[in-house]
Amino acid sequence: MAALAPLSVALLVAVTIGLAAAILAWRERPEPGATWLAVLLAGQVWWATFLVFELEAATLPAKALWYDVQWVGVVAIPVGWLFFALSYTGYHRYVTRFSVALVSVIPVATVAVAAAGDPGDLLAVDRVVRETAVGTFLDIAPGPLYYVIAGYTYLLGAVGSVPLLQLIRDDARPFRGQSAALLIGTAAPWAGSVAYLTGAIPVPGLDPTPIVFAVSGVTYLFALSRFRLLTLAPAPRRRARQLVFEQLHDPVFVVGAEDLLVDLNESASETFGIDRRAAIGERAGAIVPRYDAVRELDGERGSPRPMSIVGRDGQRPYEVTIRDVVDDHDRTTAKVIAFHDVGAYLGQQQRLNVLNRVFRHDVRTETNLILGYAERLRADATDERALAIIEESAGRMLELSERTRTAGELFDPTEEAKSGALPDVVDEVVADARDLDPDARIETGRVPDVTVSSVLRVVLENLCSNAVRHNDTETSWVRIDAAVADGWVEVTVADDGPGIDPAEYDVLDRGTETPLRHGSGIGLWIVKWGVDHLGGRISFAEREPRGTTVTVSVPIDESVTGKPSSDEGR
Amino acid sequence: MANEPTRPSTPDGTAEQQRSILTTRRALRGVAAFAAGAPFTAVVAAVEVAVATAALGVPRSTAPVAVGLVAFAVYAADHVADAEGDAASTPSRARIALRYGDQLMTAAAVSYGVAVALAVRAGPAALALVCVPGAVWIGYASDWLPTLGDVLAPPGEVSVPRLKDVFLLNSAAVALAWAVAVVAAPLAFGGVAVDAVGAPTVALLFAYVAVRSFVDVEVPNVRDVAADAARDVATLPVVYGVGRTRRVLLGVDALAAGLLAALAGTGTASRPALVALAAGLAVSVAVTALADRLDGATLGVAPDCSYLVAGTVLLALGW
Repeated sequence: MAALAPLSVALLVAVTIGLAAAILAWRERPEPGATWLAVLLAGQVWWATFLVFELEAATLPAKALWYDVQWVGVVAIPVGWLFFALSYTGYHRYVTRFSVALVSVIPVATVAVAAAGDPGDLLAVDRVVRETAVGTFLDIAPGPLYYVIAGYTYLLGAVGSVPLLQLIRDDARPFRGQSAALLIGTAAPWAGSVAYLTGAIPVPGLDPTPIVFAVSGVTYLFALSRFRLLTLAPAPRRRARQLVFEQLHDPVFVVGAEDLLVDLNESASETFGIDRRAAIGERAGAIVPRYDAVRELDGERGSPRPMSIVGRDGQRPYEVTIRDVVDDHDRTTAKVIAFHDVGAYLGQQQRLNVLNRVFRHDVRTETNLILGYAERLRADATDERALAIIEESAGRMLELSERTRTAGELFDPTEEAKSGALPDVVDEVVADARDLDPDARIETGRVPDVTVSSVLRVVLENLCSNAVRHNDTETSWVRIDAAVADGWVEVTVADDGPGIDPAEYDVLDRGTETPLRHGSGIGLWIVKWGVDHLGGRISFAEREPRGTTVTVSVPIDESVTGKPSSDEGR
Repeated sequence: MANEPTRPSTPDGTAEQQRSILTTRRALRGVAAFAAGAPFTAVVAAVEVAVATAALGVPRSTAPVAVGLVAFAVYAADHVADAEGDAASTPSRARIALRYGDQLMTAAAVSYGVAVALAVRAGPAALALVCVPGAVWIGYASDWLPTLGDVLAPPGEVSVPRLKDVFLLNSAAVALAWAVAVVAAPLAFGGVAVDAVGAPTVALLFAYVAVRSFVDVEVPNVRDVAADAARDVATLPVVYGVGRTRRVLLGVDALAAGLLAALAGTGTASRPALVALAAGLAVSVAVTALADRLDGATLGVAPDCSYLVAGTVLLALGW
């Protein structure tokens, strides 16, 4: 065999390095981008290989044949580059069978034209063999399709470079290195191509693009080994960040500068029952819960305070945090509004405060009372009044102790959530109240057959026992009514007693007690905690001529399947 | 050697010396295990092509180098890919493959790249030829075929196995791939047409190399019988037992002898090459006969040594 042309030697070096890099890239499958990098490198090797054959061929037809075969590699390169860049940088969703097929239309058409013998001189209007100092080339005068595929190649190359250029500015050094190596590896053949198309190469017919593939192969090999190109790809980061946003337990909204909703996560969609597709693009005020109050918080920039919001799980207290999304020029482009459910935390804090008060104040008061009257008994063992007061006081302490235990059990996280039919719950509550006062007139209205949490039983039991116990009439009267609407059940407990001191409501409303302002006992707190626990609401109203109406609204328990949860309102 | 006893250091440095000797021995064993793997196969392949070049009477070319490089690439890649499975049968080699997997793969990739570059220089036929072992390896050892099967047919209905896991077809595929490479490479790299040598000569040499390669593949399986059975890889010794395998392989060697005689009968093959091939065949018969009595390491290299014997004889006869 005759000695090779110097250019052929350079091309063989490109083949060796390119093929080695292609095999190593192929080996890294299914790492993001591995397959497409192998396609890109295989395209380069193909082009260089058949260019050697073209250079070594002696006749014009033989050279033309190998020239046409090269198109397979030529068109594979930009397709491989584009999809490699997208896969590698985490834009997997753009790499689909459809997008690959769509992007491949022009390349496949080009190969088809070349395979068909270039009918109509679409690729080359003229082909001549040129003897030069560096080899014998097939010099072609480009046809219209040549310019189309060249432009298309540049377009795909530019699009693929965009996500890689973003990595150049990345904080992580390996990704900067990878990105730089990839861009150099791709820019080198482009520079060769531009030089060829602009006529900057002094040798007529010499397209240096495939020769410079040796540079590409070396940089890709360098990126593969030194910067762990495919074993440390940035692709998962993008998906991971997306996952954190999507799977975050807290509901999060992203509101653009024009107060239009830009995004919301799955938790926001589920918690507040928002149709995500329909919501994006809408005004934030119409979608974000209590948006006006949230905006005020943003203006104040003060410490966050809880705000009650009714969601799918009932009414919960949320602490709202707002963060600005700032672009590279320090301009605020959006706000991220995160709702953090602080119900459990607040409830725990309240319970600790109340139990602390019970021990410091109520138990101490009763103990002092017992000690005082016990002293009087010592002086006069026949003092019946002292004995009666001691017994009453001890009874109140026993009751307090029982209620404290109930409160503890109510919120025990290890207790399995139980539920039952509302009519059964009401019957049990009525029976307990009759045990307390057999003479009491206890009426029940129509009670719908819905399933409710067993916590509601504790709530109603406390309300009824309070109504009976604190009634100052001769025959106490209590009435229980219930109604269902929109997945909620509303239970009303009315009595004809002396009424509840408004100071008690006030303390419950504020949620905190102070040494001077506190409730009496623990019964109403159990009612409030139980209703909060269920995500419900409670309201108090005075009755005419006397008495109180307490209304408790809680969501129907829909966790129980196989049983109709309501017979009304559905 | 994790349990190797450590001696207390003494002023005369005895312990250090001892450790140094042990380290050197370990390193030498590692080098030997590596050399007995892909590099040995590459040398054997190169010698095979050289003997075939002589047998066909075609001009010398870069074919032995290219085929040797391809052999190194394919076997190194295979050893890395199956390192965990090979741990029972060839522990030293598997250890190297696991520890230096990346470096071995880089060496294999560069080897294949150089082989392809040599083939490109030799022309399209040579290029097509060096692509054959790579393509066969992809179908033989990688999960490409099963994956393709899953894409074409719904998973669960039809499962396409790796060629490596199909009884007899695995050995036959390897034998045919090497026969193609060994016989066609001298022609393709030398730019010689089949007709110029004589089609019967080429066909007989091809058949000879194929049946000999089949024996070379199955003999080491006697050593791997336990590991292959554990992995559900069906080989002759796994399916028929060692005794019957030996008889079958001796029969195949007899067939090879017949093919060699027929090759000599054509009158076109060079005499020194025929003598060299006959010497190699004699070694092969001896190794096959002793298959169940040789230790594992010897059995791994002995069948291929027959080609080294053939190459030495060829050189001795002045080729």
